[in-house]
Amino acid sequence: MSGTADPCDAIVVGAGPSGAVAATELVRAGLSVTVIEQGDWVLADAFDGARPQWELTQLRKWHPNPNVRGRPEDYPVDVAASDVNPLMFAGVGGAALIYGAHWMRFMPSDFRVRTLDGVADDWPFAYDDLAPFYAYVEEAMGVSGLDGNTAYPDGAPCPLPALPIGKVGRKAALGMNRLGWHWWPGSNAIPSRAYRNLQPCVLRGTCGTGCSDGAKATPDRTHWPGAIDDGVRLLTNARVAEVTVDSHDRATGVVWIDRDGQRHHQPAGIVILCANGIGTPRTLMMSNDGAGIANRSGMVGRRLMMHPFAAVMGTFDEDLESWVGPAGQILTSMQFYETDLSRGFVRGAKWNCMPAGGPQSFRAGYGDGPLTDAWGANLHERVRRKFGRSFEWGIVGEDLPDTENRIALSASLTDTSGLPAPEIHYTVSDNTRKMLDFHTARAVEAMEAAGAVETAITPLIRDCGWHLMGTAVMGDDPETSVVDENGRCHDVPNLYVMDGSVFPTSSGMNPTATIMAVAARSVLALIENRREVEVAA
Amino acid sequence: MSHALTDAERERLATLADLMVPGGQGMPSAGDIDLANGPAEEVLHIDPTRLAGVQRFLALEGMVETLADVEALAQKDADGFADLGVVVANAYFMDAAVRQAIGYPGQEARDASIGLTDEDRALLQPVIDRGAIHR
Ligand SMILES: Cc1cc2nc3c(=O)[nH]c(=O)nc-3n(C[C@H](O)[C@H](O)[C@H](O)COP(=O)(O)OP(=O)(O)OC[C@H]3O[C@@H](n4cnc5c(N)ncnc54)[C@H](O)[C@@H]3O)c2cc1C
Ligand code: SF4
Repeated sequence: MSGTADPCDAIVVGAGPSGAVAATELVRAGLSVTVIEQGDWVLADAFDGARPQWELTQLRKWHPNPNVRGRPEDYPVDVAASDVNPLMFAGVGGAALIYGAHWMRFMPSDFRVRTLDGVADDWPFAYDDLAPFYAYVEEAMGVSGLDGNTAYPDGAPCPLPALPIGKVGRKAALGMNRLGWHWWPGSNAIPSRAYRNLQPCVLRGTCGTGCSDGAKATPDRTHWPGAIDDGVRLLTNARVAEVTVDSHDRATGVVWIDRDGQRHHQPAGIVILCANGIGTPRTLMMSNDGAGIANRSGMVGRRLMMHPFAAVMGTFDEDLESWVGPAGQILTSMQFYETDLSRGFVRGAKWNCMPAGGPQSFRAGYGDGPLTDAWGANLHERVRRKFGRSFEWGIVGEDLPDTENRIALSASLTDTSGLPAPEIHYTVSDNTRKMLDFHTARAVEAMEAAGAVETAITPLIRDCGWHLMGTAVMGDDPETSVVDENGRCHDVPNLYVMDGSVFPTSSGMNPTATIMAVAARSVLALIENRREVEVAA
Repeated sequence: MSHALTDAERERLATLADLMVPGGQGMPSAGDIDLANGPAEEVLHIDPTRLAGVQRFLALEGMVETLADVEALAQKDADGFADLGVVVANAYFMDAAVRQAIGYPGQEARDASIGLTDEDRALLQPVIDRGAIHR
């Protein structure tokens, strides 16, 4: 160990959206806070959205799969036993740096699936309990959207007006109207006008590979500058190897490793893990010499949910300028969100309408045939037929928890610090497959109703583990859950989890709104009760 | 910018690229934009991780006169062909003349503040009229 720093009141592991919420509130409440992040700052200019090579660098440099990117700050993930690859990004801002910024509150029913549908578990709190926290984080993130969404009891209000839906949105809406199906202008963590530290969106449509215009709401712009001004100490290129605990099961701090391989101990009264649904259970498992901590329930790393994703692409015989953003979601639909047992599965999915991107989306779209089909005269023919004339209905299906879908520590694969990589065991369930089949069939109908001359179904792609949830589940019972409803570990009372790991169920929604709202709820409860937190002697 | 590929490799690349991207249908061929020289070199400069695979593929022996010949080589080294495909396609579609030919201005900046139009709101009215759909 090369050194022990001065103790601080709280350590936050991870500088993504959840860590940003936790650290911002703690420092405002007067606590001394050290944030430890394995990645670095990424400035807007680093992203290639405005450069001609945008489609090239998304294949490696800005790819969402850490195994493809292979940066030193990424940890590799062993996916040999998984149907789906988990996706993430290491940096100040976390995976939000490359997220689509689709901003969705969960639906009220998402918190009550056991009561309503007899599956999985209810959450310890309800939509109405979380609604003020949604509003709070939406204000910080500058969410754009249209109030009055008929899919939500309160209309899911947004602080900024909606982004344009453009030709693609109007075409998609036409199809939905012909079928009498629900749609709504997309809600996005993308400001439709200048907002605080965010530039106005310019519809460049490259959100998923980073916003080169400083528009998309990411914590490096929305939270960290203010938190650092307030006194947060943010360490980058610093990888947490373990949470240290004393003989009374109190957290005493963390050990972290710098880029030169030096180990440091940072003591703290409270430790908060915000390293995402893979990184958080990995850290818990690596602690205590690899024996793990906070795992009386045996649930650490289990119940992994990743939202298997399917999509339907429609091609039209008119120019839709379908490379124009946001990307971002242009429209959403909740028409088939709720359970209807006659469909042969429980729960449902949310749809998002998205632009199709640049010309190379059509060179070799997901899962094409023989390699050379994409070349020769075919190349020009495909691009002419599809480019600018296609868009997608993406389908995010609710992934129900299964204790066999889990993370373990790899016995052979390590990261650049020599720490064990996570090993994913994950099987797409029968319920999910039926759900995606049903939804893709409906999305084909929606495309045809809109006038598509061609449709193509992508039943499931491997690279779709954008949403990482469930691996340190919250609940009242220490025998069956890892943390309580405020993210506090049952077994280590000054250790908290405030990311998507705590979700009892996944909903069919993109999760960041709920991750941030739950983090806000948890950290404010912690601040309120902090005199009672039992810290190490 | 120094060359990533040798003269011989660039020559082989030019042969392959012209089969993969022929001219016609109003589109320039790979040769028309001199793809194997400036454009491909630029791609390899931006993403050098493709170089090894491309060089390996270019070193494969065999006559290439048709796309079927390229396919036959691709059977021998699918990964190398994948790298070659990335380089050829990006070199092609990053070219300004090609973009113009397909009507692609690139991921350009536009004004998002226009928000929803009257037409959009009219389209939404039936959804509003149908009322709440939550459970
Ligand atoms: C390509 C992509 C698209 C997405 N699109 C959407 C979307 O449109 N809408 C939506 O709601 N969600 C989306 N998501 C998901 C969204 O990005 C996440 O829900 C969100 O970032 C979670 O926030 P978090 O802070 O909990 O975790 P993360 O953002 O993952 O941040 C965790 C941080 O912890 C750091 N870390 C991990 N382990 C360690 C360690 N041992 N030591 C130090 N640091 C560590 C990581 O480097 C990372 O920066 C997308 C994700 C991806 C990858
Ligand atoms: S669409 Fe807007 S938010 Fe997305 S990358 Fe472009 S400017 Fe940024």
